[in-house]
Amino acid sequence: MAKTLITLSGIEKSFDGVKVLSDFNLSIDENEFITLLGPSGCGKTTCLRIIGGFETPDAGTVAIDGRIVNDLEPNQRQINTCFQRYALFPHLDVFENVAFGLRIRKVEKAEIVRRVEETLRLVKLEGYGPRAVSTLSGGQQQRVAIARAIVNRPKVLLLDEPLGALDLKLRQEMQYELKEMQRTLGITFVYVTHDQEEALTMSDKIVVMNQGRILQVGTPEDVYNEPKNRFVANFIGESNIFEGVMREDYLVSFCGREFKCVDRGFAADEPVDVVIRPEDFDFVPPSKAKIVGVVDSLVFRGVHYEINVIVEGREYTIHTTKTRSIGDRVGLAVDPSLIHVMKRDVHA
Amino acid sequence: MRRLRRYAIPFVAWMAVFIVVPTLILLFLSFSDYSLYDGGPFAFTFARFEIFAAPLVLTAIGNSVALAGATTAACFLIGYPVALYLSHLPEKTGKILMSLLIVPLWSNMLLRIVAWEKVFTPDSFFTDLTGLSIDLLGSKTAILVGMVAMYLPFMVFPIYSVLEKLDRGLVEAARDLGADDAQVFLRVIFPLSAGGVLSGVIMTLLPALTSFVLPARLGLGRVPLIGNVIESKLMKEVLGSSGRSINEGALVSLSLMVLSIVLYILATRFDREGETLL
Repeated sequence: MAKTLITLSGIEKSFDGVKVLSDFNLSIDENEFITLLGPSGCGKTTCLRIIGGFETPDAGTVAIDGRIVNDLEPNQRQINTCFQRYALFPHLDVFENVAFGLRIRKVEKAEIVRRVEETLRLVKLEGYGPRAVSTLSGGQQQRVAIARAIVNRPKVLLLDEPLGALDLKLRQEMQYELKEMQRTLGITFVYVTHDQEEALTMSDKIVVMNQGRILQVGTPEDVYNEPKNRFVANFIGESNIFEGVMREDYLVSFCGREFKCVDRGFAADEPVDVVIRPEDFDFVPPSKAKIVGVVDSLVFRGVHYEINVIVEGREYTIHTTKTRSIGDRVGLAVDPSLIHVMKRDVHA
Repeated sequence: MRRLRRYAIPFVAWMAVFIVVPTLILLFLSFSDYSLYDGGPFAFTFARFEIFAAPLVLTAIGNSVALAGATTAACFLIGYPVALYLSHLPEKTGKILMSLLIVPLWSNMLLRIVAWEKVFTPDSFFTDLTGLSIDLLGSKTAILVGMVAMYLPFMVFPIYSVLEKLDRGLVEAARDLGADDAQVFLRVIFPLSAGGVLSGVIMTLLPALTSFVLPARLGLGRVPLIGNVIESKLMKEVLGSSGRSINEGALVSLSLMVLSIVLYILATRFDREGETLL
C-alpha cells in the first residue's frame, strides 16, 4: 500500500456565491500520477490551486505529509506548479528561469549550474540556457516551465493543462515524456486536463469531476470499463448509453429486449443506465441477431470504421475493422461481459 | 498611404516653421558671432563654449542637475508605491484614481505655481485656511517641493501603465518557486517595470532640468537654474543689450536639447518593446 501524501477533506470553495467545489475529498499517494479530469468549469483548476496554496478553501483541510497546510503560503509549500500559460519570466533567459527557485533558496552557485544543466538535459533543452524565452517554440517553453518546476525537486508537481497549447504530435510526445519523467524522478504528479485521452494515457489514477464534485476515482481501466454513471461513460470515450431496467441479477432489459449481463446487486426492476462501448458490438447475420438495423453512415477513422446503425429509430455507434455499405441490413450482437449496467445518478 | 500624405502637410508645415527653422537659427547663433540687432560677422566659431566656464552658468548647471536629480528621485520614491498600489486595485477604481492625478495637469501651470507660492509665504491665505505658516519661498526646498508636485504624475503614469499590464501569473509563478513578497518584488515585479521607471525618469528629469518659471517664482530667482540662465541671456538681447548674450543663450539651449535627445535615444534603446509611453 502506497503512502498517502496529500489529503483533501471536506473542501468547499465558492467564488462570488457560486459553488466551485463542494464536499471534495481526495487522497493522493506518493509517486502517483493522478489526473483531475472534467469539462471546463468543473473545479479541477481550483482544486489544483488549493493544493498549491493559491486559493484558500472556505471549509475543509488540506494536508500534505500528514501536516495541515491550510495557512501555508505557496512559497512555504514543497510543491511546484507548471502553469497553464507557462508564466515564464520574460526578463530572464532560459537558464535563469530554471535557476529561479534555486537562487531563492540560496543554493550554492556551482550547484545551481550543475542542477540547471542536468534538468535542461532531462527536458531535452541542453544548450538552450542563454536563449531568451520569447525565442522558444511553444513546446520548448513548456519544457522550460517543467524544468523550472522540477529543478527544485518538489514532493509534488502540479500541472495545469500544460499541453493545451501544443499541436497533436507534440502533445503525444510530451505525454510520453512527462510520464517518463514522473517515473524516473519519483515525484507525485497532479495533472489537470479536460482531454480524456491524455488522462487515460498518462495516469495511474483518474479523478473524474463535474460541477465541483468527484464522480469517480479509479485507474484508467476502471473508469473506462466500469464507468459509475452516465456522465463518466459519456465523458471518457464514446459510448452508446441506453435507459433500461434491471429485471433481476444478470438480466437487464433495454430497447425492448432482455439481455444477459454480468451485473448484479440491483433491486428488481430498478431503472438503470446501460453502456455499450462502440468497439464492443459485433456484426452477426440479421437472422441470428437480437438487434437488427440499417447502416446509416460510415466514416473511415484510420484504425477502424465508425458506423452508425439505425435500429428502430435509434442510432447505435459502432467501431469495427469490418466494413459495410450504407443501406446494408446488419445484425448486432454484444457479449454479456461487455454490457455495463450503472445506477442512475442524480449528479450526472 | 500615398494619398493620405497630403493630409500630413499642415503638420509638416507647422513642424518646419516652428521646430526646424528655430533649431537652425539656434544652430546658427550658437556657432557664430552674429548678433540679432547689431548684425555682425558670420564667422564660424567655437568661442561661445566659454560660457560653460562662467561661474554663474556653472552654478546654474550644478543647481539644475542637483534639483532635477532630487526631484526625479523623490518622484520615483513617492510615485512607484503609488503606481504599485493603483495597479493592484480593480481596473475601474485604478483608472479613476489615476485620473485624479491627471486632472490637475489640465489647470494652468502658472496657476499651480502661484498656488504653491502662497503655500510657502508666511501669513498668506493658506495660513488662514490651515493655521500653518510656512516661510520657504526663495529656498531650494520650495523649488524641490514645487517640482515634485508638478512632475509626480509623469512618473506615476508610465510605471502604472506597465504594472497594470504585468501578468499576475508571473507573480504566482515566483511565489510557487518559493519567493516571499520582497523577493517577488525585487526579482520579478521591479525588473519587469524597469521600462516604465525609465520612461518616468526621463519624463520627470527633462522638464525638471529645463524648468525656469517654477524656480523663478518659488525660488524668487535666488537659486538660478539653467533655464533661468537661458531666459536671462535671451531676454537681455531682446531688451537691447549687446555683448554675445544671444549667442551664449542659444548655445546653452542647444546643449540642453542635445542632452534631451541623447537621453531619449538611450531610453528607447532600453525600452525596445515600446511598452511604455515613450
